[in-house]
Amino acid sequence: MPRPAFRALRTLRALLAALAVLPLLVAAACGGGGTGARETGDDRVHLTFWSALRGSQEVVDAYNRGQARVHVDFEQVPSGQQGGYAKLSNAARAGNAPDVATIEYPQVPGFAIDGVIRDLTPLVGERLRDQLLPRALALTTFEGRVFSVPMDIEPMVFLYRRDLFARHHLRLPRTWARFEETARRIKRAAPGARIATFPTDGGHHLAGLAWQAGARWFDTAGRTWTVSMTDGPTRKVAAYWQRLIDEELVFLNPVDTQAGSAQIGRGEVFGKLTGAWDAGGMMAAQPGQRGRWGVAPLPRWDPAHPRVGTHGGSTFAVTKDSRHPRAAMDFIEWQVSSPQALRARLSSGVSSQYPAATDLVAVAREAMDTRYFAGQDIYALFRREAAHISRGWTWGPRMTATLKTVQTGLARAGDGEGTVLGALDQAQRSALPDLRSLGLSVRAGPR
Amino acid sequence: MLMAPFFALLVLVFLVPVGAAVRLSLFSDDQPGLGFGPERTVFAGSRNYEAVLTDPTFLTGMGTTALYCLVHIPLVVVLALVLALLLDSGAARLRRTAQLSLFLPHAVPGIIAAVIWLYLYTPGLSPVVEVLRDAGVTVDPLGVDTVLPSVVNIALWSSLGYNVVIFYAALQAVPRELTEAALVDGAGPVRTALRVKVPLVRGAVVMVVMFTLIWSLQLFTEPMLLSQATPVVGDRYTPAMYLYDAAFTRDNHGLAAAASVVLLAVTLALSYGLGRWSNRTARGGGPVGEGSR
Repeated sequence: MPRPAFRALRTLRALLAALAVLPLLVAAACGGGGTGARETGDDRVHLTFWSALRGSQEVVDAYNRGQARVHVDFEQVPSGQQGGYAKLSNAARAGNAPDVATIEYPQVPGFAIDGVIRDLTPLVGERLRDQLLPRALALTTFEGRVFSVPMDIEPMVFLYRRDLFARHHLRLPRTWARFEETARRIKRAAPGARIATFPTDGGHHLAGLAWQAGARWFDTAGRTWTVSMTDGPTRKVAAYWQRLIDEELVFLNPVDTQAGSAQIGRGEVFGKLTGAWDAGGMMAAQPGQRGRWGVAPLPRWDPAHPRVGTHGGSTFAVTKDSRHPRAAMDFIEWQVSSPQALRARLSSGVSSQYPAATDLVAVAREAMDTRYFAGQDIYALFRREAAHISRGWTWGPRMTATLKTVQTGLARAGDGEGTVLGALDQAQRSALPDLRSLGLSVRAGPR
Repeated sequence: MLMAPFFALLVLVFLVPVGAAVRLSLFSDDQPGLGFGPERTVFAGSRNYEAVLTDPTFLTGMGTTALYCLVHIPLVVVLALVLALLLDSGAARLRRTAQLSLFLPHAVPGIIAAVIWLYLYTPGLSPVVEVLRDAGVTVDPLGVDTVLPSVVNIALWSSLGYNVVIFYAALQAVPRELTEAALVDGAGPVRTALRVKVPLVRGAVVMVVMFTLIWSLQLFTEPMLLSQATPVVGDRYTPAMYLYDAAFTRDNHGLAAAASVVLLAVTLALSYGLGRWSNRTARGGGPVGEGSR
């Protein structure tokens, strides 16, 4: 009979052996996940498609049913901020990226520069080009080359509580000056409530507001990235919101949290400044408030020249690794422009996305149950607002990190340390060395 | 000859990775202009280092870590030493139990410890915060000013016992004749502890300071987990988090390599400085010198 010490030693050895095998198992498991395009015995072309968008499985099923030449294998991936983008970068580095990936607008230039996604210019036909809203396509085009195909574009709007505005005899603010006035009246009339929340987790939100005012955080003129996150229009926007924050006319906290959602559920906010898609988001998050919401245009700086920025929206890209770029592009074209694709997507649940392909707006409008908005034709409003999306905005090469830096600054401001402009300035100053070290041609823009 | 395994390991797990990091930080796959053109590998020189050293988020992270070290290291050393002296003097009953309960947190992996503490810190979840609130004290341990003390607290909790054991072992080596002689000379237990025992475990103190310093400069696990719970801990809260973010969020491996080389240089410089300083003061003739005479 072995002595206890020996037995312990043997157990230890077994344990070590098990530990030694573990990495192999993990590696094997990882290898199984990311299969690239492959030809199989059934001589159909197989494409892999990664997306975090809801309803993607339904879209893929509809596509596979509709033709026999290509089979799309869909994999649901985490959303970009939850690790989806890191997964895509790592897969591309390992050489097993999917054929088609879903990328939000801000991340398109970064993935293009890193060589993860390919230049689609020769594959984007005239028919598709004519379908897509030029402003949407401009956001995915760099140096005249299209790197990604827009699915939806989301002009910012003001979602507001119809019932609360009526109860307090408030008129919808058409300008930012009126918005501030209304904010004061709301605070006076209902001290526990505010007109809206300035989200500390909303880098995109602040970007959209700056975009509306005519800011150009990134500019590509002269083959140089000009970074100016504290330019004149941005300063105007930052000062405006700082005043509202300082006078406690808006809440200042994260919104994409349970607490943020509860704030809306309790009726403490009269409205939300967000992208068109969020009308559907509200329907899903607050089903009990049916009939109490409305959608209004984003307040203007100058009512004579209405302009808006965007918040949200997705695009589809073909990766460098794809062995069937043409088939991948056909699938993308079908996804963004075919009514069947949109209907399949909507079959998975409510969505108020504004399609980048103009013909699909009617399909989305028809599918929308407007009772939540007391019968308001929200797509008619979206269509008007989409036409006002300000031109000249470009996203930068490292937007995930840049927006996160803005949010860290805003979170500190939310805790009483720092300002909106301070957060932007910190993001600007940390973006410059970052882009320089990538070897890009970079300069700081006007302040 | 007998040192061969040591040098083999040194080369394999230290010098080779360091060399790779330095190489990575000096070369880059560049695309000129906006970056949409074809790549070519170029010698980047000091570009990545300039970027790291001009990045306000990296420098802020360095500052945060410095502050953390200034709070954490003295606390760990003093508390661990006091506890070890108490154990050694026999003032503590149930010495074994005390030792075990002090050491136990060290056996808990850092990530688990951070999860436990996260629960205790989160307002609305934490019984501690609730009890304090009922007593009329409102604290948010995850607030912008309180989060650093919260991190220190986690680190203190998990490292204290380990350092107590080191000090206790060193105190065991103090010859009994010396403490008895002190007693005969009329020194009380506190005086004996401060004037006889502490100087004799000086070497252990220096070692603990050095290890804690090296650990502290690589602060990562605790703030990384807290960053999931509170937005005031950003993705680049400490230098270690900065280089993780540079490599895996920004996909900028040259920058990450440069940041890690900078962090290594700072760590080496501080450790070397500490070693030099402790040698000099030891030779300068303290109680240790007298004792060995």
